[in-house]
Amino acid sequence: MGLAAASEVDPISKVFDGERSGNVQTPTAQLRDNLAPGFHKFRRPPSLLCLQIFFRNPPFPNLFLPCLSLHSVRPILQLQLFDMSNFLNQDFGSEDEDEDFNPVPVAGSDDEDAKPAKEDGDDTGALTHEGDAEAEDEKDEKHNDAEDDEEEEDDDDEEEDEEEEEVVRIKQSKKRARNSLTLVGVKNRPRKRRRGGVHNFFEEEAGVDEEEDEAEDEEDELAEFGTEMHPDDLDALPAGAETDDRRHRQLDRQRELDATMDAEKQAQMLKERYGRNRAAATDALVIPKRLLLPSVEDPSIWGARCKPGKEREVVFNIQKRIQERPAHSRNPLRILSAFERGNVMQGWFYVEAQRQPDVIAGLDQLNHYFPSRGLTLIPVKDMPDLLRVRKSEELHPGGWVRVARGKYKGDLAQIEEVETNGLTVTVRIVPRLDYGMNEDDNALAPGADVKRKRATNKFRPPQRLFSEAEAKKKHAKHLSATSGLRGKSWNYMNDNYEDGFLIKDMRLNHLTTKNVNPRLEEVTMFARGSEDGTANLDLAALADTMKKSTASDSYQPGDPVEVYRGEQQGLVGRAESTRGDIVSLRVTEGELSGHLIDAPVLTLRKRFREGDHVKVIGGSRFQNELGMVVEVKDDNVTILSDSTMEEITVFSKDLRLSGDTDAAASKGPSYTGQCRLHDLLQLDNSTVGCAIKVERDRIQVLDQHGSVRDCTRSQVINIIKRDSYKAVDADGAEITVGETIKEPLGEKRKGEIIYIYRGIVFAIDKERVENGGVWVTRAINTRSSQPAGGRELPSLDKPNPQIMNQQLKNNYASPIAMPSTGGRDRLVGQTVSIRRGPLKGLLGRVPYANEKLACVEFVSGKKPVMIPREDLLPRDPITNQPIHNFGGRGRGSRVPFGSSTAPPRRDGWQGGRTPMAAPDSSRTPAWAGASSSRTPAWGSSMSGSRTPAWKNDGSRTSNPYDAGNRTAYGGGNRTPAWNTGSRTPFAGAGGDDAFVTGSRTPAWGAGNRTPAWGSLASAQDQRDFDDAPTPGGYSAPTPGGYAAPTPGASAPTPGAWGADVPTPGAFNAPTPGGLPKRSGYDAPTPAAYDAPTPAMGGAAATPGAGYGDEYSAPQYEENTPSP
Amino acid sequence: MFFLKEETKTISVHPSNFGPEMRNLIVGQLNAEEEGRCTGDHFVISVMDMVDVGEGRVIPSNGNAEYTIKYRAIIWKPFRGETVDAIVTSVKATGIFTMAGPLSVFIARKNIPSDIKWEPNTVPPQYTDHADQVIERGTSLRLKILGVKPDVMAINAIGTIKEDFLGPL
Repeated sequence: MGLAAASEVDPISKVFDGERSGNVQTPTAQLRDNLAPGFHKFRRPPSLLCLQIFFRNPPFPNLFLPCLSLHSVRPILQLQLFDMSNFLNQDFGSEDEDEDFNPVPVAGSDDEDAKPAKEDGDDTGALTHEGDAEAEDEKDEKHNDAEDDEEEEDDDDEEEDEEEEEVVRIKQSKKRARNSLTLVGVKNRPRKRRRGGVHNFFEEEAGVDEEEDEAEDEEDELAEFGTEMHPDDLDALPAGAETDDRRHRQLDRQRELDATMDAEKQAQMLKERYGRNRAAATDALVIPKRLLLPSVEDPSIWGARCKPGKEREVVFNIQKRIQERPAHSRNPLRILSAFERGNVMQGWFYVEAQRQPDVIAGLDQLNHYFPSRGLTLIPVKDMPDLLRVRKSEELHPGGWVRVARGKYKGDLAQIEEVETNGLTVTVRIVPRLDYGMNEDDNALAPGADVKRKRATNKFRPPQRLFSEAEAKKKHAKHLSATSGLRGKSWNYMNDNYEDGFLIKDMRLNHLTTKNVNPRLEEVTMFARGSEDGTANLDLAALADTMKKSTASDSYQPGDPVEVYRGEQQGLVGRAESTRGDIVSLRVTEGELSGHLIDAPVLTLRKRFREGDHVKVIGGSRFQNELGMVVEVKDDNVTILSDSTMEEITVFSKDLRLSGDTDAAASKGPSYTGQCRLHDLLQLDNSTVGCAIKVERDRIQVLDQHGSVRDCTRSQVINIIKRDSYKAVDADGAEITVGETIKEPLGEKRKGEIIYIYRGIVFAIDKERVENGGVWVTRAINTRSSQPAGGRELPSLDKPNPQIMNQQLKNNYASPIAMPSTGGRDRLVGQTVSIRRGPLKGLLGRVPYANEKLACVEFVSGKKPVMIPREDLLPRDPITNQPIHNFGGRGRGSRVPFGSSTAPPRRDGWQGGRTPMAAPDSSRTPAWAGASSSRTPAWGSSMSGSRTPAWKNDGSRTSNPYDAGNRTAYGGGNRTPAWNTGSRTPFAGAGGDDAFVTGSRTPAWGAGNRTPAWGSLASAQDQRDFDDAPTPGGYSAPTPGGYAAPTPGASAPTPGAWGADVPTPGAFNAPTPGGLPKRSGYDAPTPAAYDAPTPAMGGAAATPGAGYGDEYSAPQYEENTPSP
Repeated sequence: MFFLKEETKTISVHPSNFGPEMRNLIVGQLNAEEEGRCTGDHFVISVMDMVDVGEGRVIPSNGNAEYTIKYRAIIWKPFRGETVDAIVTSVKATGIFTMAGPLSVFIARKNIPSDIKWEPNTVPPQYTDHADQVIERGTSLRLKILGVKPDVMAINAIGTIKEDFLGPL
C-alpha cells in the first residue's frame, strides 16, 4: 500500500525515464546516494516524505481508507525491507522488453522516491518479474486504469508533462505463498479506462494485511469483500465498487464515532498510530552497508580537473546549472551529482553521470574547469573511498598548535578562535619583535624595506611580550591603540597585540595541530597576569593537547579510570590492558559493573579521590613526588607533597596510586635513580649537603653551612650512607641519628636528626616549610630533647636486674668466683686460619699475640706475619675444624678474641683492682686512693695501651668529634685514666666497663652485646652517666672509654656474664631505692658509676659542678653513705 | 573508628624473672609494650583484658620462657571520612598541623574554607576569618579525615575543615 500510495505523488511517477530504462540505476546506488554524507544532492530528497504526505492527506480516502487501515502500512514497509535482498537478486527484465516499452526520454528523472528500490524496479517496464506476471496481465491493465483515475485527480499538471507513467506496486502473491515481492511496473496509456484495476489493487493489499495478521475484524471484512461482490459488477465495475458504499457508510459511522470520542482519546489514538508509523519509518532506513556499495550497474563517477582551490565553486556552479536546466527541461543536465574532496584532492572534482558524454556536455563552459586535462573514470571499487569522510581534527579555543611557517615557525600558539569554516584560526602568539632596533636608520619606506630584510635579516628576535613603550621609540607611526571589548589592544605594523600577545589570523594549513607537545616553559609564557605563573593556565586544554601526542602507556593495568566523554561517558572502572590507543577497562560501578569495555585513550582520564596517596610519574617536573590528593578538578589533581608539604597541581594522567606496598611509599621520601630525597650528598671534598628537593635533573641541596644550592646529578660525588655517627650536644650529652633535638638558642628550631657529619647535625622538622623542613647546625648548638629513658622498655627477656644485683652481691661475698683475667693468652699456640684479607684461608700457628695483633707462623712456611686477632679463626689442630666457641663464646673463657685482652702488665692491675672497685662500701676509699694515685699512672700506662685501641675502632676512624668532643669535655679532670681503668679487660671491671663502653661506643651497639649489655647500653644510662655528679670525671673518659674496649666487646657473651657475675663488684650498690625513677633494671647502672662518684667527686673536689641534674642528686645521696 | 580487637602476642621471659610475680610482670610488660603502639594501620589505645595468658614454654637454647598471650585491646583505626576532634599543634602558611589523639592530621590550604585566611603577622600566627573563627596553636578543631597514609610505625592523615559543621570548636 505504501508504494501504491507513493505512486500517487509525482516524484515517483517520474522516476521512469528513458535513460534509466536503458541503464538501470539500481536501488542500492540510489540509496547510497541518499545516505552518503557530504554528497551534494541534486535530487529530491528521498522520501518517505511521500508516504507521510499521503498518510496525512490521503488523496483518495474514498478509495483507500475503506479497505485499508493505516495500521497496515507498517508491516508492508517491513516486508519491503526484509525482502530487499530477494528483490535485488531479481532479474530486472531484458532489453527487448525495454524496447517494447518504447521509452521516451523524460526530463525530471532526478526525482527520487521513498522507496528507490521499488521504483527502480519499475524501470524495467510493465512486467512482473516473477512468474505470476503473465497470469495477472489482465489485472494489470485494470489496475493501470485505476491508477490513472487517481492520478488525474491529484496531480494533473505533473501528468501533463509526462507521456508515460508508471505505477509501482507490490503484490504479495498469496496464491504461491511466496514472500518475495512482485513488482509491477505499468506503462501508462493515455488515460482512458478508469475501472478494473482498483479492485484488484485493493484485493492485493488486503491480502498483505491479512498476511500480516491485522486486526481480526478487518480480516472478516476482507473475507466478505470477496464474496459480497455483485456478480454483474465483477467485470464491469471496479472491484469493490458495490461495497464502496458500505465502506463509505462505515467510514462515516466511524467518523461520527470519532467525533463523539473524547478529544484526548482521539489524540492518543492518533498518536499511537502515527507514532508507530514513524518508528517504522526510521527502522526502514537501517540498511546493511554492503548493500549500499556501488556496482557496475550504477552510474559512474568521473574525476575532472579544475583550478586548485576552486573545487567548491565548481560544484556550486554545477548545482546552479542543474537548477537552471532541470531534468524535464528542453536541455536537461544529465549529471546526477557532483562533489569535491577539498584539501585532500586539490584541483579535482567528481561528477556522477550515466555516460561520459553527459559529463562532457554538462561541464561545458564551466568556470575554473579544465576540460583539457581530461576526465578520469573512477573504478567502481574506489568509489566508496571517494566518499569516505575523514573526521577533521577538531580545534578548540584554548588548545595549542604550532606555527608551521613564517617568522614564528615552530613557535607555540594558543588558539583564540576558530572560524566556522574550519579553515582560519585566530591564534595568540608570543611576539618576536625587534621594534626596528635592527633596522637601518637610513632605510627607505617600510615597504621597500621588507624585501631587503627578508634577504638579509636572519636574526630572529627572541620571544617577548609586546611592549608599546619600545614600539613607540622608533615606530610610533606604526603604532595605534584600539580599545576593544577585551581591553586595550595595539595595532603595530598591521598586527594586533593584546595583553602583549600577537593576535593573528592564520590558515589552518599553516599550523601544526598534531604532536604539538607544548613544553611547560613555553606554556608558562602564555600565563597572563597570574601571580604564580601557572594558576592561570588552562590546564585542561593543555592536557587535551598533550593527550593527542602522548602514548597510551600512562595507563597501566589496575589504574582507576573514568570515561569522561563519548558515548560511554561516566563509566568508572579499572584499566585491564592497553593496546595502542585503546584501553580495556573493567567497569566497577553502575549497571555495567563487571563488564569489560574498550575505550579510546582520548576519552579516558584517571580517577582519583581526595585522600588517595599517589605518586607522580612521567611528564611533569614533579616526577616521583609522593603525596596525598587534596583536590580533584576534572583532569587536574592537586596533591600535597609528602616531602615538602607543598601543594602541587598535576594532570591525573601523570599520577599513579602509590600502593601501600610501594617501597617508596613506606619510605616516605621520593627518589629518583640513585639520589633520594634527604640523602646526604658529598658535593666536593669539603662540602656535604642534604638533598631537600630531588627533581628529574636538578637536586636542591642544603649544605653544611646552611646555604641552599642547586646542583645536577653529576655534581654529586658520593652519597654518604653511614648513619652511625654520633655527636655531642651542648650539654655534652651524646646525640645520635633519630634523636629529637632542639636549639636552645638562635632560631630555637627543633627536629629529628637525620644525619650527623663531623659535628654538623642535619635535622628535619616536618612542620617547617623552608627547605622541606630540613635544617642544619653544629651539634654543639643543639640540645637533645629526648626525655631520658626514651622509649626503652624494660624487657622481660633480659636478666632481671634485681636478681642480677642480688647475684652480684652474693658473688662479691665469695671472691673465689672472681674470674681470672690474666694468664696466658689463649690464642697463643693455637692453630688458626685467616679469615680475610690477602692471606685469607692460610693456616698457621700463633707463637705470640698482643692485644690486637697476633703473630702467625704459616704452615706453608711463609714468613710470620702480624695479623689482627679478629681476622683469625682458631681451628682444631687435628681436624682443622673451626672452633667457634673458642674463647669468647665459651663459658668462662674470659679472653675473647680480638678483645683488648689484658696485656700482662695490666693484669696485675686488674687483679688488684677488682676487689677495690667492686666492693661498694669498702671500695670507696680504695677508689679514692686509687684514683688519686692512679691518675698519673693511668695517664702513662693506659694511654699507651689505649692509643692503638682507639685506632682499632674502624668505624670511627675519622672521628667526627675528635676535636669537638674532647674540647667539649674539656675538663682536666677528665683523665681518660679513670675510664681506662675501669675498662680494663673485662668482668672484674665488668660493671664499670660494661657500662661505660656499653653506653658510649657505637661499636657496642654493633650487636656484640649480650642482652645484659644491652640493657646497660641504653641511651638513658648514658644520660645518667653524663649527668652524674662528676661531669669531668665522667664525660672525659668517654672517648677513650669506648675506644679501647671495643674489640673486647665481642667477648662478653651471656655466658661470660654468668661467669662473671661474681666479678663485677661493680654492681655493688644496686640499691633500687636509690633510683626511684628507674625501674629495677636500671639500678645497677647508676650504682656502678655512682659508687665511685663520691670518691671521684672527692678527688675532683668539685662535687657541685655536675650536680645540676635532677637524677644525680638523689643518686648521689643514696650512694654516698658508704664513705 | 574504635574497635575491640583480639590479638595475640608472644612475650619471652628471662629465667631470672621467673617467680610468683611472673604474671604481673607479663601483664606489665604487655601493657607497656602495646598501649600507645601504632602498627601503621591502627593505634592500640588500651589493653582491655587478658583472655588467656597461656603456659610458658621454655626455649631450649637460652632458657627463656615464651608466653603466648591472647588479649583484647581497644584500637583506633582512622578512616577516610571520619570526623574527629583535634588540637592544633602548629599553624603554617601551607596549612594546619593538628593532632587527633595520637594521629597527626594535616589540613592543607586547599581544605580550609576560603574565608579563613592566613594571618602571618599576628602573634601567634593564625588562620582567621576576622570574625569569631580563629585557628592558632592550641585551638580545638573538628575536622574530617580525607585520607590516611599508613607508614611503617606511624599514620599520617590529611583532613579538611571545608565543610559544614567543621572548623574551630
